[in-house]
Amino acid sequence: MSAPLREDNPLLTVRDLTVRFDTEDGIVNAVSDLSYDLFAGETLAIMGESGSGKSVSAQALMGLVPMPPGRIEKGSISFVGQELVGLEENDWTNLRGEEIAMIFQDPLTSLNPVFPVGWQIGETFRLHRTIGRREAMRKAAELMDRVGIPNAGKRARQFPHQFSGGMRQRLMIAMALALEPKILIADEPTTALDVTVQAQIMDLLADLQRDTGMALILITHDLGVVASVADRVLVMYAGRAVETGRAGDFYARPGHPYAQGLMGSVPRLLSDTDRLLPIPGHPPSVVQLPTGCSFHPRCALADDHCRTSRPDLTVYGDGSRQVACFKAETPAALRNQP
Amino acid sequence: MTPPLLDVQGLVKHYPPEGFLGGGTVQAVSGIDLTIEAGQTHGLVGESGCGKSTVARTVMRLEKPTGGRALFEGDDLFTMNRRRMRSVRRDMQIIFQDPFASLNPRMTVRSIIEEPWKIHGGVGASERSDAGDELLRKVGLSPEHANRYPHQFSGGQRQRIGIARALALNPKLIVCDEPVSALDVSIQAQIVNLLQEIQEERGLSYLFIAHDLAVVRHISDVVSVMYLGKIVETGTRDEIYGSPAHPYTKALLSAVPEPDPIIEASRSRTVLEGDVPSPVDPPSGCRFRTRCAHATEVCATEEPVLSDPGVGHMVACHHAEVAVSL
Repeated sequence: MSAPLREDNPLLTVRDLTVRFDTEDGIVNAVSDLSYDLFAGETLAIMGESGSGKSVSAQALMGLVPMPPGRIEKGSISFVGQELVGLEENDWTNLRGEEIAMIFQDPLTSLNPVFPVGWQIGETFRLHRTIGRREAMRKAAELMDRVGIPNAGKRARQFPHQFSGGMRQRLMIAMALALEPKILIADEPTTALDVTVQAQIMDLLADLQRDTGMALILITHDLGVVASVADRVLVMYAGRAVETGRAGDFYARPGHPYAQGLMGSVPRLLSDTDRLLPIPGHPPSVVQLPTGCSFHPRCALADDHCRTSRPDLTVYGDGSRQVACFKAETPAALRNQP
Repeated sequence: MTPPLLDVQGLVKHYPPEGFLGGGTVQAVSGIDLTIEAGQTHGLVGESGCGKSTVARTVMRLEKPTGGRALFEGDDLFTMNRRRMRSVRRDMQIIFQDPFASLNPRMTVRSIIEEPWKIHGGVGASERSDAGDELLRKVGLSPEHANRYPHQFSGGQRQRIGIARALALNPKLIVCDEPVSALDVSIQAQIVNLLQEIQEERGLSYLFIAHDLAVVRHISDVVSVMYLGKIVETGTRDEIYGSPAHPYTKALLSAVPEPDPIIEASRSRTVLEGDVPSPVDPPSGCRFRTRCAHATEVCATEEPVLSDPGVGHMVACHHAEVAVSL
């Protein structure tokens, strides 16, 4: 790694994380050689399109990669000094929820339809803390109030189907925050929600983060959501990190041709866009990755070197940025030309 | 003056209560007007449940309307006889959000795109193969793809097949129902560009239905904003995005994050409270009043009609003059 980002020690250190899945079609290279640090209180956005490995990389942090067919082939995930790769299921119990919690895109599948929501949130306390039912229910209602659910005392006795999509996501956030984790992983938390509800949820997460000082890993494909909340950005393509750096620098001058292509692909809300500049082709099959740089078949700058050798993340611009591209220094004027 | 290509007047679509538990009638679309001129793109935006897809399906006669008229080149689609309908169907095509669900998995791409010609004619059997290749090239696929099946394609390619099929009969109008929302960002842009190129070349019209406000801005000439079965604001693209007057339009626009941290840091956001009410029992008067910061007594008792409050375009709000200045 290059120049240190911060003086303090990271909460989480991921090094060379490689996750594979054995499937009938062959070996799926879900995540390859992924390395990053996460510091207390910051928001790291892991950004990528479908199949980029962003969700699997998050599941690995929670010990949720199904094994088999999945396996962590190599690498390490260190949470304040404790190695998480290869941890026994029993030891995960003290980490999941307690130290690292996660919310998902679809809250309905994560809620049990036959129990009142307050009971489900309270369950966290009953399992992890020795407190009684009544006390657990009271604390659940408190949390529901904290995440902005009106009439929390009454609504704690209602069932998941009685809540709207946005309210269900609030319930999941309440559940995730119950034990005051140090890291919250949010995997596409607003993708299933309408844009006005998305704004409510992102505001809530920012509020809670300010109050609790937790670190947030935001997994998303949405360049707009990332711009509004992230401190740092990590862009994944075909299972690998292709660019990482401070959000402001990244948006001002994306370094990787893929990241530049993404910026050219999105129309703007506040200004006219002449013609979109899409990335040609489509993402590679994760079973059969291209040789060399995985992006080379879609890249206007690719040459023989790119087709045969794989670029590693190297320092780009000032010390805070890293880009995995042999051509990263090509002047901007030459980029995005099909 | 020639009539607009499509002129929807007072369209109403209700769904009867479902299941033995009853429930009420779902008022999906409650009287909307909408016109599309030849060569134009009319963007219809709104959040889930606002009725925008129901408008598309009803105009295409995939659903039976409860009330209203939809004039296509002056003829009412809802009352015309079968024979006229059959010929109008050539002129109106639809593409869907999920191209996989709308392509028959047992048909090759060639038979999918040639099927419209088998039904409606237009291209003789001997010329179909060449015409099919030509269509595939038009949408950015190659003739070698013709003998494959839908599952052998990626999402973006499937949407291209859907577009090729829609283009086969050289329609005057294509209804695009969330055509890019299931696609990855990098693929979305390819499809948006393709739709624009086709329009420039053939001069056809689009009714473009989407929840992505930035995409709608990019592709539309005219934009209508729907909320709970009603159009609350309609105008040119620049009017809606440049000087929105309805409190809902303003809130909607302010909720969309722009992919630029510098702009984001300086924007103020109007966060709407609460959720969209149920279309089974919509609020009296103005349907947006339960979430509106400007709502007063009149909003509960009187339904606002679309009119120009002095901004140059149509807004359905009792307090639009106030809202504009905020």
